[in-house]
Amino acid sequence: MPRTLSRRATGADAVFEHGARVVGASVLVITGGVGLFLAWQAYPTLQRYGVGFFTESQWQPDQDVIGIAAVLVGTVSVALVAMTIAFPLSVLVALYVSEYAPAKARSTLVSLIDLMAAVPSIIYGLWGFFLIMPYAAELAVWLQRNLGWIPFFEVVGSDPNAAVTDTTRYVASAFCAGIAVSMMVMPMACAVMRQVFSQTPQGEKEAALALGATRWGMVGAVVLPFGRGGIIGGTMLGLGRALGETIAVVLIVSPAFEIKPRILEVGTSTVSSLIAGRFGEASASQLSALLAAGFVLFVITLGVNTIAAVMVNRSRSGAGTDA
Amino acid sequence: MTSVRSHAARLLLTLVVALCVVFARPGAAEAVVYAQIEGTGSTWSELIVQQWIADVDANGMKVVYTGGGSSKGRKDFSQSSTDFAISEIPYQGTDELGNADTSNGREFAYLPIVAGGTAFTYQLKIGGKLVKNLRLSGDTISKIFTNQITNWNDPAITADNNGRAFPSLSITPVVRSDGSGTTAQFTSWMDKEYPDIWQAFYGKAGLTSYYPRQGRALGQAGSDQVMNTIAGFAGNGTIGYVEYSYPLNKDYPVVKVLNKAGFFVEPTQYNTAVALTQAQINQDVSSPLYLTQVLDKVYANPDPRAYPISSYSYMVIPTGASDTRMTTAKRQTIADFLYYSLCAGQTKAGPYGYSPLPLNLVQASFDQVAKLKVADPAVDVTDRDVKSCNNPTFDGKNLSKNKLAEIAPQPAACDKTGAGPCGTETGTGVPSTDGGAVDPAAAPAAPVAGGAVVAPAAPVVDPATGAVIPVDQAPVVADPATGEVVASAPVAGGQVAQSEIYANPTELASSRPLDNRTFGWLAAALLVGLVVLPGIYSTGLRRRRLARARS
Repeated sequence: MPRTLSRRATGADAVFEHGARVVGASVLVITGGVGLFLAWQAYPTLQRYGVGFFTESQWQPDQDVIGIAAVLVGTVSVALVAMTIAFPLSVLVALYVSEYAPAKARSTLVSLIDLMAAVPSIIYGLWGFFLIMPYAAELAVWLQRNLGWIPFFEVVGSDPNAAVTDTTRYVASAFCAGIAVSMMVMPMACAVMRQVFSQTPQGEKEAALALGATRWGMVGAVVLPFGRGGIIGGTMLGLGRALGETIAVVLIVSPAFEIKPRILEVGTSTVSSLIAGRFGEASASQLSALLAAGFVLFVITLGVNTIAAVMVNRSRSGAGTDA
Repeated sequence: MTSVRSHAARLLLTLVVALCVVFARPGAAEAVVYAQIEGTGSTWSELIVQQWIADVDANGMKVVYTGGGSSKGRKDFSQSSTDFAISEIPYQGTDELGNADTSNGREFAYLPIVAGGTAFTYQLKIGGKLVKNLRLSGDTISKIFTNQITNWNDPAITADNNGRAFPSLSITPVVRSDGSGTTAQFTSWMDKEYPDIWQAFYGKAGLTSYYPRQGRALGQAGSDQVMNTIAGFAGNGTIGYVEYSYPLNKDYPVVKVLNKAGFFVEPTQYNTAVALTQAQINQDVSSPLYLTQVLDKVYANPDPRAYPISSYSYMVIPTGASDTRMTTAKRQTIADFLYYSLCAGQTKAGPYGYSPLPLNLVQASFDQVAKLKVADPAVDVTDRDVKSCNNPTFDGKNLSKNKLAEIAPQPAACDKTGAGPCGTETGTGVPSTDGGAVDPAAAPAAPVAGGAVVAPAAPVVDPATGAVIPVDQAPVVADPATGEVVASAPVAGGQVAQSEIYANPTELASSRPLDNRTFGWLAAALLVGLVVLPGIYSTGLRRRRLARARS
């Protein structure tokens, strides 16, 4: 009679295993709970307005007109501006830190970038409102003057060549908010990319150098292809945060409910800034509408972050190396 | 062992010292127990409330007030998430969004805490200098905020300023994006005084806390953000409405608004006090709206000193005996905080851009505070006498008079329609007047005599031609070569600071894109050259050196 081997843990092992499982599962329970709560609260609104909730741009609870088309466009445009600025910055910073920076400075640089992530978003909001907006407005005028033929650089009702530019049209825009948000997104994306870059197999890097590649040649041939998944994943994680950024956006933008792809023009609104701005004085039915908007944002962010997580995981397995 | 004992002894000593410090604090001497109270609401009156909070802090009273708008204040109070609220308007029953606006069954009382004027602050520059003496009639203001007047060179604005023209610049109204009592006061005034203009814009009659933003107007949350936007770098051409204290603090000008007597006045503490002598206060003690205001007569006050858009701000306090949030300590804190605010605190109203409450309202507010004692007999409200308050509106002998309204100076002659405009700056807290008639004991600073500065009667004579130039049109300097107008000369006899007031706005044509483009390319070429040329030069040098070495 051969002895049967049991793989079941016993004693302290079993306690730890089950304890860890419960704690791990609680994350799922919490996230699922948030989703369920939002869906439950959003249900009356979605039932009442139906598809119109997604196609209507106005948010006027007094006239029973509620829709998130404009705020969704605003959310996406702020996030895209933020990513356009944050993406090149974070790739270059991550590359510099992992490949070029002297070993002594590396840990300082890493902690400085982490510090950027730790700065509260209201600080970025104030920074954006008081320090950045004047320059952002000038840049916006320049962009309209030279690239105004591109539809999203257009500013309706303002002539960029006027002797005295109407500056009021160029502030409090998705562009200004996007700059502040990009600074919040950058460290997050950067941290992911740096981690993936630092996992590049040392042997392959040395092989590239041994074959006579310059350092840039080595980065281009080995590090970037290996880290491609990480670059995409980090960008998506950053995008997830950019979509949900609230206080900095509330401080900077002037709320306007129009579908407005013109990012330089004054006034926009994002889902999270809508919720933050209207939550304080909302009645029960308005709260449901706000939570419905929150639910949509939750689903979008969840989707973006899931894709990001999948990509980061893939890159860690080295699947991108032979690309 | 000894070390443990000495450690314990030291701990005990520290404790005793700490207790002594606690009990030695002023205010805590008579063993009054305070607890922290929290409130939200109006940003209209927030500046003075924060000052009062800072003042009572030394007496051990901890009050936390966070603004957020009157609508939020009323809602937070109704949900029992705050201990008090401050609101410009009472609970509306049903608000304009069709939702319930009630206290949700929580028992409460209204009491006025301070008076003030809803001011229109603006940024308008001529030749890089702020215009500080803009005058507008109510009609013009209503048309500006309903997008009917959209340019500063509009004839209506020129007419309000007695022929003085402003540059061609789009007007950008800045309105509140959150539920706001300031918006409610402003729209209530437009609804009563200019119903045709307002109701056509709003689509129905009545006031609203949520401004129906349209067109060029910008929305901003909170009075401070409205003020920041107007005073900001991109504020040229903006105009918005906030309580007078905000521009006063920021040293920004306010619009002098035309009153029914034909004078343009600024909402200083005097002008607000005069206007509010006509306020109708609900005197029915049994009514839930007891002490609330009806301002129709304030808007139409015929006194030449009255500022039309003046109002009181109200605190909402919980008076229920079984209120879930209230304790004796909290009620005592509310009672003592209000005693300070309504009594000694009123002396600060004027300098901060508000106006002190008259005696009868202070007395009525005291009676409302006394309801806290009805709810909880342990609350101590003894020894509260309105006569002991050093309130600038009180006349020691006759308590029914509002002294501040009586000593309020008459407006300067140049502030009348068809005269002036006065050269005095606004947003200083000092009314513009011809006489120095203000009692210096009551006034924080002597008013500036405004009429004398500009001397409206003296026409300017052109030295070259001898022709008389009308006052409202400054002589312009022309370039001798081109005949183009290059600048406006300062008016003879006027002070240098006044020259901008009569500047004739010139309009410049758009810049030519061709120039920009040409110089842009040139700049780019120069930049590329700067980067590339040294490299090419040094490579060339090295090659030549190599060639020489080889030969």
